[in-house]
Amino acid sequence: MHRPTSPLAFLLLLLALCAGGTVACAAENQDEDRNSKLAQLFIVEPYLELREGPGRGYAITQVTPRGESIDVLYRRTEWFRVRTSRGVEGWAYEADMLKARWADGSPFTVDRGDRSGFTSHRWEIGVQAGDFGGATLISGYVSRAFNEQLALELTASQFLGNASNGWLLDLGLAHVFKPEWRLSPLVTLGTGMIHIEPKGTLVQPEDRTNQTAYAGVGLRYYWTRRFFVRGEYRSNMVFTDRNENEEIDEWKLGFAFFF
Amino acid sequence: MEIGVRVFLLAPLLLAMAAPAAFGQSEPSEDGPRVIEPEVERRAVNKPQIDTENWEVGGYAGVLSIEDFGSNPVYGIRADYHITEDFFFEANVGRSTAGKTSFETLGGDVTLLPPGDRRLTYYNLSLGYNLLPGEVYLGRNIAMNSSLYLIGGVGATEFAGDQHFTINFGAGYRLLPTDWLAIHVDVQDLMFQSDLLGESKLANNLGAWLGFTVFF
Repeated sequence: MHRPTSPLAFLLLLLALCAGGTVACAAENQDEDRNSKLAQLFIVEPYLELREGPGRGYAITQVTPRGESIDVLYRRTEWFRVRTSRGVEGWAYEADMLKARWADGSPFTVDRGDRSGFTSHRWEIGVQAGDFGGATLISGYVSRAFNEQLALELTASQFLGNASNGWLLDLGLAHVFKPEWRLSPLVTLGTGMIHIEPKGTLVQPEDRTNQTAYAGVGLRYYWTRRFFVRGEYRSNMVFTDRNENEEIDEWKLGFAFFF
Repeated sequence: MEIGVRVFLLAPLLLAMAAPAAFGQSEPSEDGPRVIEPEVERRAVNKPQIDTENWEVGGYAGVLSIEDFGSNPVYGIRADYHITEDFFFEANVGRSTAGKTSFETLGGDVTLLPPGDRRLTYYNLSLGYNLLPGEVYLGRNIAMNSSLYLIGGVGATEFAGDQHFTINFGAGYRLLPTDWLAIHVDVQDLMFQSDLLGESKLANNLGAWLGFTVFF
């Protein structure tokens, strides 16, 4: 049965179509934007192998020949998700990708997890365990480098002892001497807050939060890939309300990685 | 002899004077043939930054057996950073609430811990190793990447009004239905020294949980 369309319904339909069209158009634009944001590289070696997964054990299912272009979608560790000009997607290895070229013929470069990355990197995350004035210490830090030698570091630590528990939050600078050496010394300096919760069985002492300052020395040793070992000593000065300030020795050792 | 020396000294001078004329002849004139100088404009190539997807963030829920306090629900959040194809770093925070000990169940009104102290909160900083990476096939058309990993680390547990240095270790299985979504099944032991029930002993708290994470 055919029913005449009312003007209102027609208007609504028209609006819906327009809106749909606009959305579709916007989506298309977004798609184009995304495509233009992808890095386009050209294969200059005889071929580029593409694997099913981001790992050395995954099967090679596709090969892209010389002269073809690839779009780099994203990177996960040492593997790049790429799409060939024929629309095939797969994972390419970092070492193979470094042999590809940009459209202007310049070589493709990326930051790699090797000794040069150890010498010069932007971010560092580390986990350490050790001793804090007789208590067990667990510590984690994030570091942002300004250059090869100087970095800003944020450290969060927790100490668990027989007499008291607590945490520390420090912000400071680390200066690495000879960052190009595999074993490089560093000095640290900074300030922070300490929160101490004494364990009392008979008398219940109050928790306290004080400001601290620290100075320390350390060593970092490049291990492999993106990893290094870092050990350090810090001398912490706790500014208390009492007449005497408290000094706490901190020793810690752990691993860190850069990216 | 003296003339010979003079000629010898003058010769280079004469040669130097004659040289520009000689070279001038070889210079291309305006009309004559000239070497083609390539004036190809270098194509300005857009070199966008490549998106890295090494972070994995999500949550999990499961069961944690708290030594002497029965098996209880546990839930938590986790963040992983994939350092290399083999190793990843994980930070996680979890929470559970201890049930009753058998002593409390049998003893009627006896309570070992006030309700506030029954809450167990822990965190771990761990290093994981992808031991068995692989692929699983569901039916004819679906293939998913997967990995069985080992994980271990240090952390702290707050339980029964005290904090304990904790060592965690275990294994997990990661399944990736898509490149950005992962399903995890983890089994871990959280170990800490506890003197809650009189003598000091190593408490083994075994747990298993199911989680979802997103790569970005």
